[in-house]
Amino acid sequence: MLGAALSLGAQAAFAQEKKEAAKEVNTAMCTGCHGIPGYKTAFPEVYHVPKIGGQQAAYIEAALKAYRAGQRPHPSMRGIAGNMSDEEIAAYAKYYGGAK
Amino acid sequence: MKALALLVLLAFSSASSTVLARGNADAGKTKASQVCAACHGADGAKPSAPDQPILAGQHYDYLVKSLKDYKSGKRSNPIMQGFAAQLSEKDMEDLAAWFAAQKSPLSDRR
Repeated sequence: MLGAALSLGAQAAFAQEKKEAAKEVNTAMCTGCHGIPGYKTAFPEVYHVPKIGGQQAAYIEAALKAYRAGQRPHPSMRGIAGNMSDEEIAAYAKYYGGAK
Repeated sequence: MKALALLVLLAFSSASSTVLARGNADAGKTKASQVCAACHGADGAKPSAPDQPILAGQHYDYLVKSLKDYKSGKRSNPIMQGFAAQLSEKDMEDLAAWFAAQKSPLSDRR
């Protein structure tokens, strides 16, 4: 019972944290690919786009910076990350990262 | 009766296996314990550092593509390039099959 209450509290805190983080990001440009379960890329190769919800925040940050620096090949992600500042990248990492 | 049990078992195993996975998850498990586990965790769910990705439950074909891109140098990461360079295409498919099938905290969060 106590465990359940604690877990509910943790869930509420998580939801609140994501709500706060969401104010700093425009996820519209992410959900078109990453928010659709089972979605596949159409170009340049066909494969499932990675799940990013719940991924490690520092990894998401590193991935976006790698796209921005041209160290990862996907053209759309290079385009999207290429326009982001360090602060914006940190905000997206915070929004998508973390345990759920 | 035995045939029925076998059919049920087969139905279950195909339902739980990852879509389109061609690799062998058992072979992947062995390989993962030798190559990947030290940094990503044995099941890929508990990386040893925050900037290393969770692999557990990630899409099979994305994992295969990532390993191929590391090996070819399309994806530039000195650590992963070194590991991927040692892997055959079959190794990559086996590893991807193993990690894709593990319990995961990942989701398609909007």
